[in-house]
Amino acid sequence: MTIRLDPRTKLLLAVLYAAWIMTTRSLPWLLAELGLLWLGVVLVREGRTYLKWLRVLMAMTIAWFLIAWWAFDLMAAVTASLRLLSLSSTFFLFFRTTSPYDLSNALVKSGLPYEVAFVFRTSLQFVPVITRKARNIFDAQRSRGIPLEPGWAALRHYPALMTPLLIQAFQLADELAEALEARGFSRPGRTFMQDYRLQAVDWAVLCGAVILLLAIILIP
Amino acid sequence: MNRPLVEVHHLYYRYAASSPDWILRDLNLRIHAGEYVLLAGASGSGKSTLCRALNGLIPHFYEGVMEGQVTVRNLDTRSSTVGELFAHVGMIFQNPAAQLFSETVVQELAFGLESLGLARQEINRRLEESAEMVGIGHLLDRNPQHLSGGEQQLVAIAAAMALHPELIVLDEPYASLDPANVRRIRSALSRIHQSGTAIVISEHRLQHVVADVDRMCVLDRGQIVLDGPPRTVLSEEITAFGLNAPTVVQMAKAMGLSDVPLTVEEFKDAIPAFTTEPDLGPNPPAAEAHGPFPVLQTENLWFSFEKTPVLRGINLTLYPGECLALVGANGSGKTTLIKHFNGLYRPHHGRVLVLDQDTLRTKTSRLASHVGLAFQNANDQFFRFQVRDEIEVGARALKRYNKHWLDELTTLFRLEPLLERSPYRLSEGEKKRVAFAAALAAQPEILVLDEPTTGQDWPFRQALGEFLRDLQARGQTIVMVTHDLEFAEQYACRWVLLAGGEILTNGHSWEVMGNEPAMQRAGLEPTEAFQIRKAFLEKAR
Repeated sequence: MTIRLDPRTKLLLAVLYAAWIMTTRSLPWLLAELGLLWLGVVLVREGRTYLKWLRVLMAMTIAWFLIAWWAFDLMAAVTASLRLLSLSSTFFLFFRTTSPYDLSNALVKSGLPYEVAFVFRTSLQFVPVITRKARNIFDAQRSRGIPLEPGWAALRHYPALMTPLLIQAFQLADELAEALEARGFSRPGRTFMQDYRLQAVDWAVLCGAVILLLAIILIP
Repeated sequence: MNRPLVEVHHLYYRYAASSPDWILRDLNLRIHAGEYVLLAGASGSGKSTLCRALNGLIPHFYEGVMEGQVTVRNLDTRSSTVGELFAHVGMIFQNPAAQLFSETVVQELAFGLESLGLARQEINRRLEESAEMVGIGHLLDRNPQHLSGGEQQLVAIAAAMALHPELIVLDEPYASLDPANVRRIRSALSRIHQSGTAIVISEHRLQHVVADVDRMCVLDRGQIVLDGPPRTVLSEEITAFGLNAPTVVQMAKAMGLSDVPLTVEEFKDAIPAFTTEPDLGPNPPAAEAHGPFPVLQTENLWFSFEKTPVLRGINLTLYPGECLALVGANGSGKTTLIKHFNGLYRPHHGRVLVLDQDTLRTKTSRLASHVGLAFQNANDQFFRFQVRDEIEVGARALKRYNKHWLDELTTLFRLEPLLERSPYRLSEGEKKRVAFAAALAAQPEILVLDEPTTGQDWPFRQALGEFLRDLQARGQTIVMVTHDLEFAEQYACRWVLLAGGEILTNGHSWEVMGNEPAMQRAGLEPTEAFQIRKAFLEKAR
């Protein structure tokens, strides 16, 4: 796809699409919505990542399905799980096509405080770093004979994983705060390397989406 | 003479009002524009604290007590904010990963320029210029967290240089880097120095820095005790300050040479014909006699991460009582290999035998009682409130608790005064000692140390060397993984050289370092001691 949309447009589109999913009651329409999302996934060439991610989501969906079936009936369970699948796929598509950096900067332009936006995008950036730290701690403790392999024993020893991880996360936060300060984070009058402006195509897409959604909801 | 760029005037600092000791005590220093200054000193001498006082992080970011005055280009750091100072003084920290926070290198370089409030075109111009100067033009679109430690340091340097500072301050930038990356950063810093920017750098391993700098300041207990050109400072006695002069300097002094050489080349030119090599204490230990049965064997070991082979057919045999060094650059597969010794990783092909037990069929918790592993970052394992518990917990979990042995370990690693303290409140060197004791607590047959000297000063390295000698004298089998060849040369009786997941060569340290093609492929440089020995042999011919 070559159309470059503003991150804010994409966010609004995702929210509108989610609203559509939430208001849909009929099974064929729900299936169509999911099908449309899959088409999107294929178009942006994220199929492989999507399948990997779907494998993780499936466990949750099945649990969700069983609970709904037990609480209501089969039909409700099918709709509920389809909705869950579609909603999460919508935001999968959104986050795979929008960098947190662009999104947060665009939101800052619309008035979100820079500090809030910065925390949002940096916390995403540091998930892999923390995961790596957790793995190192896991290895270090197992090397000492502390059983942290999944199982009941691990529950008892779980401070051996959590304590060093928490302390290192705080240390990392301190070091980062210092590095940020040394690069002028708190200096007033920040500019941005990239500009974010809603183009004609953004407005057109948004208007079209709103009209479509209203039509779908209002025309039975 | 012009007014100095930085003036430190009777500076006192301590991190908390309640602590009785000043970290910096009546420190005076002037740095002129364009100078390249080395701050040397043992751990705790105040190097990092002084670095942070130069750009206003002290007193603004740290809530300690500061007396005296620091001025940068006539700005008093007490009354100016870090936001006003950061464009004059760029700061590069020790931990490369914890100072980069953007998604791409471009954004990382742009961050400071955006803070300055520059226009878009200017931001782009400056970041490209800085990337080119530091030599990271090819990395601009990469995610900083996916780069190697050396590349991350270069990005941090470029991010500071983009601001056109008059001074950059680097706090132990080489601590976790291998020789090839140290060389890259040294040449980038030389270019920066030539462009007229002043540099302040702190570092323990003096041989990496002395030939580059104009000036060397020695810190001891918060004061500058020696200050001058490196040749002048190094001609003084510096061991009392916890520093070890580069081997070439020690050798030249032992031979009574009048000029102090800073590199092996200078040393070669300075030695007169027909001199014999002076003796500088114990030579590297030769391979010792060992038992007939190996304690550990790997047979054609292959291992991959996400289909990329990291170990390619490793055949290694370890005999009881040996002290083996696995040497190689970062990413050569050293740490992956030792994680096979206790079953943290299992071979994809081939096998690993620990005391004749196949690791494929033995649990890690069982192997851990035979192989004690201490990783590089001691903070990864501390979760108890007292050092004593921290040492015992592994032994108890493995059901190999032996009070008598733990007392012996406490004496060996001189931990008595620390037993009741919290492991988190110790110095980094003390933490390492606790981690080594913990690795030995279950009386494993094999002790494995991962980069034990990283970021440590000379007194620690010397003490660690003594521990290793004591342990060897008791018949302990030791494997250390390191790119610190000076240390490995002094204490390991056999070297195994790794590159690209393969063993290139194996033998006494001199044999390995003498194999030039292999050393080159591994991205390592022979130690100064080895190069000097070679120079003498060539002279004798």
